[in-house]
Amino acid sequence: MTSRQTAIPYLLILPSLVLAAAIIFWPVGSLIEIATNDVNRFGQLKGWNDFANFSALFANADFISALWRTGLWTVLVVGGALLVSVPVALILNEDFYGRDIARVILMLPWAVSLTMTAVVWRWSLNGESGMLNSALMGLGIISENVQWLASGDLAFAMQVLIGILVTVPFTTTIFLGGLSSIPQDLYEASALEGASRLQQFRHITLPLLKPFINIALVLNTIYVFNSFPIIWVTTQGGPANSTDILVTHLYKLGFRIGKLGEASAVSLIMLAILLVFTIIYVRLAMKEREA
Amino acid sequence: MKSRFLKTILTAGLSLAALTSVALAGTVRVTVAEYSAKTGPYFAEAEKAFEAANPGVDIQIEVVPWDVLLQKLTTDIGAGSNADLSIIGTRWLIDFVKQDVAEPLDQFITPEFKDRFIETFLSPSVMDGKTYGLPIAASARAMYYNKELFEKAGITEPPKTWDELKAAAEKISALGGGVYGYGLQGKEIETDVYYYYAMWSQGVEILDKDGKSGLGSDGAIAAAKIYKELIDKKLTQPGVTSFSREDVQNLFKQGKIGMMITAPFLSNQIKEEAPNLKYGVAAIPAGPSGARGTYGVTDSIIMFKNSQNKEEAWKFLDYLFTTDMRAKFTQGEGFLPVNKEEAKMDYYVNNADLKAFTDLLPSARFAPVIPGWEEVAQKTSDALQKIYLGDVEPDVALKATAEEINGILQK
Amino acid sequence: MSKLKRSIIAWALLSPLVVLSLFPFAVMFITAVKPQAEVLNPTWWPSEIRWQNFIDMWTVTNFGRALFNSLYTSLIATIGAILISIPAAYALSRFRFRGRGAFNQFLLISQMLSPIVLVVGLFRLIAALGLVDNVPTVGVIYMAFNIAFTVWMLQSYFATIPKDLEEAAWMEGASRGQTLIKVFLPLVTPAIAVTAIFTFINAWNEFVIALTLLRRQESYTLPIQVFSLVAGRYTVEWHHVMAATLVATIPVAILFAWLQRYLVRGLSLGAVK
Repeated sequence: MTSRQTAIPYLLILPSLVLAAAIIFWPVGSLIEIATNDVNRFGQLKGWNDFANFSALFANADFISALWRTGLWTVLVVGGALLVSVPVALILNEDFYGRDIARVILMLPWAVSLTMTAVVWRWSLNGESGMLNSALMGLGIISENVQWLASGDLAFAMQVLIGILVTVPFTTTIFLGGLSSIPQDLYEASALEGASRLQQFRHITLPLLKPFINIALVLNTIYVFNSFPIIWVTTQGGPANSTDILVTHLYKLGFRIGKLGEASAVSLIMLAILLVFTIIYVRLAMKEREA
Repeated sequence: MKSRFLKTILTAGLSLAALTSVALAGTVRVTVAEYSAKTGPYFAEAEKAFEAANPGVDIQIEVVPWDVLLQKLTTDIGAGSNADLSIIGTRWLIDFVKQDVAEPLDQFITPEFKDRFIETFLSPSVMDGKTYGLPIAASARAMYYNKELFEKAGITEPPKTWDELKAAAEKISALGGGVYGYGLQGKEIETDVYYYYAMWSQGVEILDKDGKSGLGSDGAIAAAKIYKELIDKKLTQPGVTSFSREDVQNLFKQGKIGMMITAPFLSNQIKEEAPNLKYGVAAIPAGPSGARGTYGVTDSIIMFKNSQNKEEAWKFLDYLFTTDMRAKFTQGEGFLPVNKEEAKMDYYVNNADLKAFTDLLPSARFAPVIPGWEEVAQKTSDALQKIYLGDVEPDVALKATAEEINGILQK
Repeated sequence: MSKLKRSIIAWALLSPLVVLSLFPFAVMFITAVKPQAEVLNPTWWPSEIRWQNFIDMWTVTNFGRALFNSLYTSLIATIGAILISIPAAYALSRFRFRGRGAFNQFLLISQMLSPIVLVVGLFRLIAALGLVDNVPTVGVIYMAFNIAFTVWMLQSYFATIPKDLEEAAWMEGASRGQTLIKVFLPLVTPAIAVTAIFTFINAWNEFVIALTLLRRQESYTLPIQVFSLVAGRYTVEWHHVMAATLVATIPVAILFAWLQRYLVRGLSLGAVK
């Protein structure tokens, strides 16, 4: 191979490398700088401070509980979305009347900006003049108004549900793609051998869907972990910080209270958590493939 | 075809970039908070009129939603790309002054200019003898009550004390049908303030004489107990911790609550959205000793130290604070007049609603001028939410929060 | 099982999700057409359907301008991301070179950095360049944030296309560049289309970057414009908010309906045989 040819792949990846590095990694450097310095509320640096921002965080009970809640939030939303999406994709992969319409309807939540979805839900979940209570009342399901967002537990449950609802379309689409790549003759052959549909699902569909489940799991974990609008718009992490996750905590620290140093430290911690998660996950996935 | 399309996009992008990056001499950028749908058009009009009268000066208005104003200012100032003038909450001013980003305006202020203002509203923007901001919006709080519900419940007069308020709330809540006596805010901006009304009436201040938090005192705990009792006896709307100020106001507009405490702008909203609602405005209830307090708020417009066009910026300020311009703004948004001449206008003198507010001004408290005030407010709101939900007893929650606040104040 | 029976079961199983998916749209629509006096009343049956609200909303919310800005940024992001990602994805799927794994990891890491986490640092960068409140800049940033995903999608799709066709073309004396354009690209159009849609939707709905970087109302994109009607105002005109949200959603919804089959097909990474 000539040297010109060896250079080709590097030239091809160069533009994407430069753009992503400039716009995404440069700010990380800036965050590290802010996080390790004493800064005022406008982000003007006042000197190195021995990781005081990090130790302040770990001494803060609100941060610790937001950390745990972020884990819970991510597991529930990602897990819930995967559990819902697999059967939905299986159904949508069948041939039935109105399938195209069903696909479009189930994709619709994806078409609305997350912020706007959250605004609409906040409006619908209002205890006294919300349209959800009004609808449930009209259908005779409830007899008095439910205060959906008043207590942390119920509010968080609703937020998780909304989170799942908006994550399902993307996940289902990935699975549908995976399903359509499974050759039909595999099913026909196993049907000839007398395999039941459940057996087919376990021995053909699930193994072949696995790489797609992996993609959905990794991407959704990253997105949900970082997801801001649903919780911020509906409760701003309240009441009494009982629905705070790391991003909402970060926003309050940085832009409400003006502790930019601690906010940047939260950013870096979040990044570290995601890195560790991805490394572990990629290792596990690779080991499985080798086994 | 494709490449021509791209070329158009690129050139369009470049020309736009060129347009925005070249600042004209005499450009004054102004960041304004969006109070209502009328804010943008008001400033657009002011911009046009001012530019016509002052050729060569280019005013650029940036309308920012209130919720993100502090965030934008934070990022802007950090990067040195802030505007020349900006509206800020006066309670944030101390941070701006301490970090040396606000320009003192005394070099521009003439005695005549200073004389335009009502002293109460100008003084919160004065620090260490220097005037750092001009009050662009001023407001106080009073109690709105629904006359129709009062009549139905057989109440003749708006309650003057918290005991009377409780009695009135009992009668109104007894009407049933999704109607509640007292609208209690328990979420988001000013959740703490909604509680201070009760606290001030117990003779307790946010900060005591030694500059320590008043939250741990007996009066503060008694005030929290008043609200907790209202909630427990179902005299407020259910689920208070899910109601922001706007949510409670919406309930009032729908005629679902008997009483609530809020700002003059609710009158404007009722006029437009619920014109048939019969309501009155009265003083905030007093405590056993007759003490009472309302919350006075001003937003200030400040000039930044790094402004390149201070002369022009000042000219624009001078124009905004002429009587006519003030009147148009204040009346449109539903604020209180800050201008002496303006306050004499018929609109204010013959307005019973507004009179209730101006009468309360002598008992108005402004947010204390301390760095870290936002954090203190946040901590207080958190504690209140725990109390309202019944998670923690009032005395335990408030005493713990007072400790925390004292810690913040010491820094 | 007959198709009819299968259809009934399928719809019955999907119905809870269908209801939940449509619920927000029903709320948006009903609220958007209510007369102002009824907006706060949670009834599902307004006394009249007021289409005029949509027309009022258009002028009150400065909708046309925001629509233009949204299209502008989304198109820059989509076209740019695709143009930059195709060569990178091609390199990853057709060349073995040192640093290939590292580049892949670099992409995965850049996926993890969400705008909200980076916003402080990102703003300092853009402000240092003097590009705050510049609409095309926002488009370019969206482009950068989408590159990892687009390269990834395209690469896994490209990998499924057998090399034989290209090799056959080389044998006939076509250059690598010619082969790429004449043989390879036509084969991968579905993948490009789908990837473009993903990018477009992401850019269309993006919130945090636009909120931080755009200043004047004239440069607002749709999500920011609608948000500014809700955030911290003393009163919210909910019927206008809902009308604006609904109208902002329509272009994307149509895109979905139109390309729905394509979308799935494009995602099925091994579909082309």
